[in-house]
Amino acid sequence: AAEPWPENAALYQQLKEEQILLSDNASSLAVQAFLQMCNLPVRVVCRANAEYMSPSGKVPFIHVGNQVVSELGPIVQFVKAKGHSLSDGLDEVQKAEMKAYMELVNNMLLTAELYLQWCDDVTVEEITHPRYGSPYPWPLNRILSYQKQWEVRRKMKAIGWAGKTLDQVLEDVDQCCQALSQRLGTQPYFFNKQPTELDALVFGHLFTILTTQLITDELSEKVKNYSNLTAFCRRIEQQYFEGHDKDSSATVAARSAKRSLLR
Amino acid sequence: PQSLLQAYAKFSGAPLTVNTINNSWRALKDVPVLVSEDVVISQPAKILNFLRKQKYNADYELSAKQGADTLAYIALLEEKLLPAVLHTFWVEAENYCSVTKPWFASRIAFPLSLYLPGKMSREVLNRILLTRGGPPLYSLSEVEAQIYRDAKECLNLLSKRLGTSQFFFGDTPTTLDAFVFGFLAPIYKVCFPRVQLQEHLRQLPNLCRFCDDILSCYFRLTVSGHSPAGQDTADANLQKLTQLVNKESNLIEKMDDNLRKSPQHPPRKLTTLKLAAGGEGSSPLNRLSP
Repeated sequence: AAEPWPENAALYQQLKEEQILLSDNASSLAVQAFLQMCNLPVRVVCRANAEYMSPSGKVPFIHVGNQVVSELGPIVQFVKAKGHSLSDGLDEVQKAEMKAYMELVNNMLLTAELYLQWCDDVTVEEITHPRYGSPYPWPLNRILSYQKQWEVRRKMKAIGWAGKTLDQVLEDVDQCCQALSQRLGTQPYFFNKQPTELDALVFGHLFTILTTQLITDELSEKVKNYSNLTAFCRRIEQQYFEGHDKDSSATVAARSAKRSLLR
Repeated sequence: PQSLLQAYAKFSGAPLTVNTINNSWRALKDVPVLVSEDVVISQPAKILNFLRKQKYNADYELSAKQGADTLAYIALLEEKLLPAVLHTFWVEAENYCSVTKPWFASRIAFPLSLYLPGKMSREVLNRILLTRGGPPLYSLSEVEAQIYRDAKECLNLLSKRLGTSQFFFGDTPTTLDAFVFGFLAPIYKVCFPRVQLQEHLRQLPNLCRFCDDILSCYFRLTVSGHSPAGQDTADANLQKLTQLVNKESNLIEKMDDNLRKSPQHPPRKLTTLKLAAGGEGSSPLNRLSP
């Protein structure tokens, strides 16, 4: 952990144009934002089998030196061990608050995204199935996406979300956005002047929701109701993602996501 | 969930009587159930919403930001602490066999008592494995180690957040206090053979003090209290145990008069809300043997 950050660090995710889904895109963008905020260069590599390469089965994961770390939580700790941290300036109570809000986002926003893309039949048929299996030939593509769907639905059932209707899920999203909006208030970042991993996580999810086109716009409408959240996303986008010509820029990802989801 | 609701009801001044209802298959799945003027509501979150709409709101004085904090901390509790609490009660073999199962079984009629505890145990294990058991954790013991680590970290965070104040948002209790109490009280009070969470909790004196305060202020037994289920003269310990062995209870409901003076408490003369819980209509002293 004492080695400096190498130049060739890579972040792996699924194929941006055709394959990646809403929830994975959100997680990946969160990690990218976090690394940008720490000023650590990373290039984004898209692979169809990124999910299977990951040590925990989830994307995104980063390959740094000879270590592979997946998901935002462990990545934050890994980066901290290398000496970069965004939350050092917070006191204990603020750190507790930050962790609580990150759990809120994971609990509500991520689960809602998963619900929308795997449990809502219309979305599953028209968007998720075609996208998820797109790099593979028939019948593998159907088998893989049914398998994943079954797995996600099992999980939803275990935590009690399977019985929820889409309206209830949207209401939960609204509640979550309201809480985030109230916490953010008029500050530039959640903990005033400096961005932290919470800001990266919130940005990843909200930006993806706002810019991904689904069957209906209800999900993004819920977020748009809160103007300070949309301003927050725009601010982070401008500060950390524009002016870069790399593939990993959020605007490029957003544009391509929009384009390809139109089919 | 039971103690959470009762704590919230006490904090907000809602008149609640706890009834035990005769056992039935469906009832056990849905308890705790709130019955008010023919409206039946079954999940804790919905019950809380209902109470709020009826203007029994313990969060009246919170700012918007504090309300947001409440939501965030509740998410933290559910994500980090709940798996370990469920595990302690239902999956940990010694605990389950010596404590949870006998209580549960003694409260419900034969032959359900043979089947239901096992079913609940399996469901809990399933839930833990599905939500926490993915790679790189490949064996149950690794998953268990991870969830207990998370739970201890969560307890530490709660302790830091509470600091030296009496409740989480100052001097009056709120929804968040009810939630935290609902989670901490079983860990704190129930005597299990395997108690790693309890030991950890004991090392955080402000959380212990928090539980003790709430127990002594709001769950005090006095002679004027009564319940349709009969006098429960057991000590507060046993009270907590029976409450929290997953929706089985046989309690005495006591309202503290001080709470009635809270500003938003409207002078209501409507029907009292009945909180129904599954179980036999008898005191713990008259247990049926399974």
